[in-house]
Amino acid sequence: MTPFTSLAEVCSAISAFIRCCADEPRTVGFNELALALFAFQFEHNIPYANFCRTENHTPATVADWRNIPAVPTRAFKSLNLTVLPEVDRETVFRSSGTTQANCSRHFHNHDSLAVYHTSLWPWFAEHLIDESTKRLLFLFPEIDQAPESSLAYMMDEVAKRLAKHERCFAADGQWQIDDQAAVDFLHDCVTQNEPVTILGTAFSFVHLLDHLDRVAIEFQLPSGSAAMETGGYKGRSREISKPELHQAITDKLGIASGRIICEYGMCELSSQAYDCKLGQANTTPRKFRFPPWARARIVSPETMGEVEIGQAGLLQIVDLANVNSVLSLQTEDLARRHTDGFELLGRVELAESRGCSLMNLNHA
Amino acid sequence: MPKPSLDYFLADKQGAELTGTLITEACQALRHNRDDYLALVGNEPIIAKLIEVANLWRSPDYELRRQALTASPEETGFPREVLAAGLDACFADWTQEKFFMLLTQEFGDPTRLQSFANQPNRTYSMVHGPQLIAHIAPGNLPVPIFQSIAFGLLLRSAQFVKCATGKSLLPRLFGHSLHYVEPGLASSLEIAEWDGGNEVLESSLFTEADCVVASGNDNSINSIRQRLPLSKRLLGYGHRVSFGYVEKQANEIMGTQAIISHAADDVVAWNQCGCLSPHVIYVEQFGTLKPERFAEMLAEELEMRNEAIPRGPIPTKEAAAISTARRFYKIREANNVGAMLWESEDTTDWTVVYEDEKQFQRSPLNRFIFIKPIEHIEEALHVLEPIRESVSTVGLAASEARMRELARPLAKWGVPRICAIGQMQRPPLAWRHDGRPPLGELIHWTDLETA
Repeated sequence: MTPFTSLAEVCSAISAFIRCCADEPRTVGFNELALALFAFQFEHNIPYANFCRTENHTPATVADWRNIPAVPTRAFKSLNLTVLPEVDRETVFRSSGTTQANCSRHFHNHDSLAVYHTSLWPWFAEHLIDESTKRLLFLFPEIDQAPESSLAYMMDEVAKRLAKHERCFAADGQWQIDDQAAVDFLHDCVTQNEPVTILGTAFSFVHLLDHLDRVAIEFQLPSGSAAMETGGYKGRSREISKPELHQAITDKLGIASGRIICEYGMCELSSQAYDCKLGQANTTPRKFRFPPWARARIVSPETMGEVEIGQAGLLQIVDLANVNSVLSLQTEDLARRHTDGFELLGRVELAESRGCSLMNLNHA
Repeated sequence: MPKPSLDYFLADKQGAELTGTLITEACQALRHNRDDYLALVGNEPIIAKLIEVANLWRSPDYELRRQALTASPEETGFPREVLAAGLDACFADWTQEKFFMLLTQEFGDPTRLQSFANQPNRTYSMVHGPQLIAHIAPGNLPVPIFQSIAFGLLLRSAQFVKCATGKSLLPRLFGHSLHYVEPGLASSLEIAEWDGGNEVLESSLFTEADCVVASGNDNSINSIRQRLPLSKRLLGYGHRVSFGYVEKQANEIMGTQAIISHAADDVVAWNQCGCLSPHVIYVEQFGTLKPERFAEMLAEELEMRNEAIPRGPIPTKEAAAISTARRFYKIREANNVGAMLWESEDTTDWTVVYEDEKQFQRSPLNRFIFIKPIEHIEEALHVLEPIRESVSTVGLAASEARMRELARPLAKWGVPRICAIGQMQRPPLAWRHDGRPPLGELIHWTDLETA
């Protein structure tokens, strides 16, 4: 494959690959593209190149996408891991942190944001949209309220793609839910008998459900309604287990359990994983899958080699849509490898995050 | 020696269902047994029996020691070699002299536990331990509970030891050795296991106990505090952190290799998992031993130690924390942002990180140590301000004269224990945990004014 010479060229090749994959999931060429992107990032992303050299894994020696050095997501907090020169860093996705210093920073420009949009939509649509999809309740702030949130960007794109659907953004820039607006919107869905898809973080759902408890309201939302739940609690609400949260969504909102979908993503990534498609029975345990242009590996924390099926380890992701930063990431999530996806087992506990739960809101 | 039967304590009966009533009855039986035996025994016989237990545990052929060492690390928390070294260090300190020194330190006169003894002001006084102590055993290391049980016996207290589920093996084995040397001592001891926070069982236990001694994280101790009637005494020991400090001339007096070896002792002991284990070792700059060189030498030493006393396997979650931290420092090292890393190959067995940043950094432990440069003790105390209230132990490498000088500002700042580097995980029997008297907080005094 001819080496990439500009970011625009990279973006166009990756977008084309994503579109091919979206039409034909068995599209070949992942390895070739991953290596070409690695070579491009190695050349233009200096901190990453320095790391690769000390790992002795450079474009000259790496022939398999699995050997592309994975950067710890934590490093996005202290290094500018980007191919973009400072003047071109038009947009930054930040994880929420207690101070600027402990936020991850993922820089974007117009071209890379276009790839982000190209990447997020088809996989979202495949999992969250079916013939019943009608209205949308976003428990998220609008993009102008949270201009540095990757999730707000993602929801903004979803709203644009579904522009004909009636919708409501029910959170402010502080991620506070406007309970009344949400309840009014849901009432209207019931009155009009139009299914609604509610999208939110786990803590936003808990806020909404707690509000419903306080005012003693339970909804039986129209059949075909659905929920997309993402992320953890980050100290923003009381914490309940996923099964409990999903049961409460079913009990208080009347959304069938087969229509509650979990999303996994973070501000350092440009693709997302989902654990099931609307209408498909949820498997136990819930298993996440990335789209064909992003691949997950579960590696042993001892040897860094891929674990066997059924074993647990650290989750690494090679995401081709991460065009202008680093395509290979090592997350701080523990996961179990399955033949058909990965099961999330919790986060790695590192001292820095103790007593600082807001820091992990890394996809907000 | 016949193989002792391991069916005496509640925790021996795997799978048996515990109820509040059962706990209440067990506590009442303990009190009764205490009144019949323990309350009537003198200091000497109790201490003699404790020493007998310690001698058994120090003997390589002792059956219960062998059981402890051959148990799976999941059950004991440690691989064989680490556990053996820890047990030996603990029981070596159990001598008649040291037990009597402890009693003298705490009460002035050891006989005060048995009868009135005179005081400097010409009055008399006597001390009494609680009738029943409830111990909430720490989950990280096994030996502190052995010591707590020994102290409870010295105070003639009946004791109920609550362990976390699956963590009672070593306390049970210890209990069985007590039972072997003197059934009367074991008759006022009960050991059970359940998941902390079980309100039914703990409410029965707290109702019966006169005093609760709890080790654990701050949340569980707070939870106990809230559930305990005001009249009951709670001795809560939360998690603490420790660090080492190498004075800039220490290597000229002690020898560089000796300091490195002592520092490795502290990192290897209990795989660094206790509150007294160092997270960071500060090395004074501008001496002949550069902090970076110290880090490099310590890495070589840890590699050698790993052959003699392997760290052993650790849970995936803990290995993942090490692996994540390592990768973070590797990318910083590659970009010259004031960090260097040395690590064991293809395992997480040991890690040394040198970092310019002086702030205290909590380590993922399991032999992962930070080395940081520091100008002088005042600077150390300044950067350590955020953890001032959580510090347990400072291990010093310095000449004796400098050690005394450094100890003053450390003590004033609030450090409860200062020791020589290499001794951090080997506190003496009579040490004051978190700066508090080991027996003094458990007892009450009776003064007799005859004049």
